[in-house]
Amino acid sequence: MTAGTLATTAVRSSRACPAGSHQARKRRGVRRAGTFYLFIAPWLAGVVALTLFPLGYALWLSMTNSDGLSPNSRFIGLRNYQEIFSDDQTLQTLARTGLFTAVTVPATIVGGLVLALLVNRPVPGRALFRTLLYLPAVVPPVAASLTFKLIFDRDAGAANALLETIGVKPIAWLTDPYARYVLVMLVLWGCGNCMIISLAGLQDVPRELHEAVRVDGANSWQAFRHITIPMISPVLFFQVVTGVIAALQMFVPPVLLAPTVGATGDVKSIPQGNYLYMVHVYAQYFNSGRFGYASALLWVLFLIILAVTGLIFKAGARTVFYGTDPKEGKR
Amino acid sequence: MNARRTAIFILLVALVGLFLSPFGWLVITALKSPEELAAVPVHWLPKNVRPGNFTEALTSIPFLGYARNSLMISGIYSVLVTLSSAWVGFGFARLTAPGKRVLFTVLLGTMMMPQIITLIPTYLIFAKAGMVDTYWPWVLWGVSGAAYLIFLFRQFFANLPQELEEAAVIDGCGYPRIFWRIFIPQSWPVLAASLVLSFTWSWGDFVGPALLLSTDRTTLAVAISTLYTNPQGLPINNLMAAGSILYILPVLVLFLFAQRGFVAGFSTSGLK
Repeated sequence: MTAGTLATTAVRSSRACPAGSHQARKRRGVRRAGTFYLFIAPWLAGVVALTLFPLGYALWLSMTNSDGLSPNSRFIGLRNYQEIFSDDQTLQTLARTGLFTAVTVPATIVGGLVLALLVNRPVPGRALFRTLLYLPAVVPPVAASLTFKLIFDRDAGAANALLETIGVKPIAWLTDPYARYVLVMLVLWGCGNCMIISLAGLQDVPRELHEAVRVDGANSWQAFRHITIPMISPVLFFQVVTGVIAALQMFVPPVLLAPTVGATGDVKSIPQGNYLYMVHVYAQYFNSGRFGYASALLWVLFLIILAVTGLIFKAGARTVFYGTDPKEGKR
Repeated sequence: MNARRTAIFILLVALVGLFLSPFGWLVITALKSPEELAAVPVHWLPKNVRPGNFTEALTSIPFLGYARNSLMISGIYSVLVTLSSAWVGFGFARLTAPGKRVLFTVLLGTMMMPQIITLIPTYLIFAKAGMVDTYWPWVLWGVSGAAYLIFLFRQFFANLPQELEEAAVIDGCGYPRIFWRIFIPQSWPVLAASLVLSFTWSWGDFVGPALLLSTDRTTLAVAISTLYTNPQGLPINNLMAAGSILYILPVLVLFLFAQRGFVAGFSTSGLK
């Protein structure tokens, strides 16, 4: 679509240009290019100064033994990177984060899709259902975490009160090994986000297609499997990509679900189950003051995210169906 | 068929109940006294409703001061980022130049840029530049636009008819004026969506203010999660619940009012 739009814009604007001398046209071209760069300049400057430069700075730090304070840090080459692969704690947090991603991303996407299918049905009050199911996704992560902390409080929480009615003894939810389940439930609570995106996809599936296969004798599961899923695969793919990127760098909820307050102060009180990779990075920076090593950790995560996204795109190229012109489906 | 519709309706009601129950517990906790919070077994509903928790949440910490900080930061950021993203999006939608295709790919790439990964080194640089404990970082983040919003504006502007600027170009009107006089007045739905989205992002942001701002200048997001403690450093749950409600209320109200903008924003992000 992008390329198509670009092409038509180019054709149109060249037609709009009155035929002048070659030189005049060239001059106008240069001025136009200048105008384009004038318009994108703020963003371009931001990419350079606020994204590429910090990443480069972190890359440089990752090859030093900087502690963030003393001025005489030394260049130590790739030693920080070597340490990562012999550091058991780092490898454990990495594996844990991988598992967390592998569980929460499919769960939220499937959850969101199920909700989207339900609120796509002609039931009375479905606009209200959509709004209310989406509502938790708008709650800022800070407030969502605090709310879940209150629900899963060992003594005063609703979860244990509910379990007690069926005779289950109080569970210390916010500590190991239960804390991880609380985190997963917190993430699932926000699956309204996936619902809205899937719903937009579902609304673009032409109804006639569905009716046609049903007339041909397909049951509703077959129609869903062979029509709906391929038709909405682009939006599902989008959710996989953004979901994986977000899950791999999950940070705020694990910190705020920890039993102590003083959110950024004491990362150590975070139960092992929720001690995810980004929490580890943060602790290495601001609790241990190991800026060099922490920067190396940051770069490793960055490379992992790039690699995983690359793999997903490669897999997506084979499975995602971009058959129809998305512009036609839009209302 | 009708039985099936009823079944779906009932299922949806149950799901909505489940999804809204955390809000319910938040409200219940916010209305309990400390004694009732400690009661065994747990009281499902407070016996003595204490609306006074809300006034205490407002006064036991300088809540309004933090609210003003949050409002300042979110206001500055959302206005700047909306204008800047519209400006850049216009460039990508309506102008051509060598290198545009590559830059557009870069734009799509930065949409997927891991946020926290760049935030920590950015913080280190801001610290070196003496911008810690000021609101300048939000100004800079605002001015440089947000890839996601730029994309939103580009999609919108690219679909407006070419005739819009043709007459103006022939009349010798420059593109900045065309943008400001012709395109901006056409785009209030996207502008509103962008304002609401960016306002809620920065209102909800925790890591940014936690890293960059001291306790006095920080935002509500940090304040409500760290400051409601007793002298032993333990959280005072009823006040924290009341504070949280006051903190999320503006976001929920904004969402309910601007719902269509939210949804429009998210569905265009389908990136098809």
